[in-house]
Amino acid sequence: MSMWRYLLGRLGLAVVTLWLLSVLVFLASQVLPGDVGSKILGPTADKGAIAALNTELGLDRPALERYADFASELLRGDLGESYTQRREVGPILLEASLKSLKLALVAFLIVVPLAVGAGVYAAMKQGKPVDSVITTVGLAAMVVPEFVSGILAILVLGLWLKVFPITATAPPGSGAIRQVYHLILPSLPLVLVMFGYIERVTRASTIEVLRSDYVRTATLKGLERSVVIRRHVLRNALPSSVTVVATQVGYLFGGLVVIEILFNYKGVGLLLFNATRDKDFPLLANCVMAVGTVYLIFTLLGDLIYSLLNPRIRVGGGQ
Amino acid sequence: MSKFLQNDRSRLNLSAPANALIDSFQQGKLDRRTFLRMATVLGLSLPAMGLSGTRANAQDASAAKGGILRVGVSAPTGPVDPMVAANQGSIAMYQPIGEYLARADPDLSLRPSLAKSWTSNDEGTVWTFTLRDDVTFQDGQKMTSADVVATFNRLADPDGGAIALSAFRGIIGKNSASAKDDVTVEFQLERPVGNFPYLASSDTYSAIILPASFAGDYEKSGFPGTGPMRMESYSQTNGATFVRHEGYWDKENPAFLDQIVFTFFADEKPALLALQGGDLDVVYQISVQNGRAVLTNPEYSLITTRSAAARVLHLRTDTGPWADKRVRQAFALTVDRAAVVDGLMQGRADIGNDSPFAPVFPVTDPAVAQRSVDLDKAKALLGEAGLPQGFKTTLNVLNQLEIPDYAVIIKAGAAKAGIDLEIVLQDPGSYYGDGQFGSSPWLDSTAGITDYGHRSIPNVYLTAQFQSQGVWNSSHIKNEQMDSLIGDFLATVDVDAQRKLATSLQELFLEETPAIYAGFLEFVSVSTNRVTGIVPNASGQLFLGRAAFKA
Repeated sequence: MSMWRYLLGRLGLAVVTLWLLSVLVFLASQVLPGDVGSKILGPTADKGAIAALNTELGLDRPALERYADFASELLRGDLGESYTQRREVGPILLEASLKSLKLALVAFLIVVPLAVGAGVYAAMKQGKPVDSVITTVGLAAMVVPEFVSGILAILVLGLWLKVFPITATAPPGSGAIRQVYHLILPSLPLVLVMFGYIERVTRASTIEVLRSDYVRTATLKGLERSVVIRRHVLRNALPSSVTVVATQVGYLFGGLVVIEILFNYKGVGLLLFNATRDKDFPLLANCVMAVGTVYLIFTLLGDLIYSLLNPRIRVGGGQ
Repeated sequence: MSKFLQNDRSRLNLSAPANALIDSFQQGKLDRRTFLRMATVLGLSLPAMGLSGTRANAQDASAAKGGILRVGVSAPTGPVDPMVAANQGSIAMYQPIGEYLARADPDLSLRPSLAKSWTSNDEGTVWTFTLRDDVTFQDGQKMTSADVVATFNRLADPDGGAIALSAFRGIIGKNSASAKDDVTVEFQLERPVGNFPYLASSDTYSAIILPASFAGDYEKSGFPGTGPMRMESYSQTNGATFVRHEGYWDKENPAFLDQIVFTFFADEKPALLALQGGDLDVVYQISVQNGRAVLTNPEYSLITTRSAAARVLHLRTDTGPWADKRVRQAFALTVDRAAVVDGLMQGRADIGNDSPFAPVFPVTDPAVAQRSVDLDKAKALLGEAGLPQGFKTTLNVLNQLEIPDYAVIIKAGAAKAGIDLEIVLQDPGSYYGDGQFGSSPWLDSTAGITDYGHRSIPNVYLTAQFQSQGVWNSSHIKNEQMDSLIGDFLATVDVDAQRKLATSLQELFLEETPAIYAGFLEFVSVSTNRVTGIVPNASGQLFLGRAAFKA
């Protein structure tokens, strides 16, 4: 029962957060310079043409009225129509979201086993040269901006060695394997950025667990090393990594503007960027809210998994 | 001299402007190239005169049939509707399926396309176009004058909101075009315009001829144009595919390619990388700055054409430090045009002489003295204006393309005469603001650098930027002589008289210096050198109808 109450509480909070987000985005988009008509038609377009377009888009109405319309449509499940693309926001956002999730998934599938494995290994070899190498490399990779590692990846692996295709979008009709193949190059800069982060957290919590009494007991009672790691160390060290990973999903979903531009991948980051540039409020607001929703869902998921892995803080577990 | 030109009887049917043009040529006032270009505008049939006209379609004899051309282009930022589409990506989406009455070629001569010929009355107020009678739309309907009339009246309706209004307003309106018969369209102009055929040609990119029944909705099904390719699929985010239209009316010039596949890019650099990685065959437009890797690589061919596009540096003439024209002249004398043209633009530009009269325009007088760096004179002028020590002021700069680098060159030059420019970089949203006087750094700043696109005739630049009431008059120039010269220039149909007015205007621009033009940029595209037959147009279009792979 209390688990449900907890979930409902989190959900309520999420709705309020999203609503606040929409208000903030609306206010921000009012402050952005320029008007939509002249952004679509260009600044040197005929003034009459710009005015006609603004009227057609309903932008000559008061701001409050426009926001009320947007909000009431949203409550009815209608995401509205993009100013610049002149079509429903829903399908545009869905297409971009699927792409972003695909890229995020590929990046995760590469980075999570790699970073967690490296973190645990480094912890077990704490103080040895291999530990320093893993930690230093992770730290160095973390501070290289994505556009630098992205361009390097393109030059070396794409143009020079020709191992991977440069464009992230596979030709239409490609199968799953081909699509993943096209996504490997754009995943690499993300892997570099996230590797150091996840690896360090995993390493730190693994070291902490390795020092604990129950691990010493397990070792002393003669359990094999691999069993100790699997049953006792991982189970207790992983929750912190899960939380870290969960907070990265929001960034992977909506924050990859540079990578998406560099690899010409039409994900949510690029959509968000264009919507901001064009003052396309319906598109912008829905993008921000989609990113917000994904962020909230994955943080919640992270918390749930954390509690499942760590019975001590399981919600309601103490009662 | 051809027999036609000497035969007075065969000239009886020509309009007065056409006869005047021939007279000027015969009297040696025009060189042959200029004469030929202008003759195409006035609708003179060059073959009938015994003169060869513009060169035929640039087509390599080795063109092979078939293949899929992969083109990278900037993503459309709005709906693909010729009424409102203003950016390159959107225009590229209707260009393969449509055609124009006439096509403006890279040398700015006009080539008949859906219209066979055209002519004007003596005053240049009535222009009559004769259409081909064998043109069909892609849905099989025959193209008639009704379609042409509907297309132009829709674009010219002052309340219709069309993008073409910036060129058409004050020249044609919503009832200006009328059908005389199935193949004859007459345009009644609101004032004389000697080079109106440019406005009715591909130079007005939205003037592709559409069926009278056109109702938009490109995104769902495209629309039937008269062109050699038809749309097969389109997604505003990803790209579009066009396939050869087998029923194309022009049986002698069908498309070679099976397909053209466009991929949309948010930025130029990834498109260039995709070209180098073998994922693309053509990049629609590149800048000299980003394109260095391919500019000199023999694996790629550059597709270029000269244009009148310029980064215009306006100076407020009514207030602030530039109000004294000697100060403006002094500033202009510090601009290192060679550094701009040869350095920054890698030679892919024509040198500018502080007026919108680009060397590419046939009317431009090349004999007007070229302004160049003269620091002594600049300092002397500043002294006369009471500013011997120089002064400090701001320069608003559009943060786009190579413009910030251009501003740095300008700043370095000005510093040598004691003018200390503080550069204020602004993104397009902030720089253009509302696009209205009073709320736009573009129009209000004391000095600013703006990006103006190509036009095949200087008319819009002159009226909008430099007439007292101009809507883009960012230098706030209100000069009676300039107003009246511009008015005369626009109204003059006689080519010789128009050239004289151009000379006077160019000299007046140098004297008043409301703006600095350091150079006029070339339009540059790139393809792998397996591709042939792409014809560029300075207004930023590629004609891909006869593109092909080499056999």
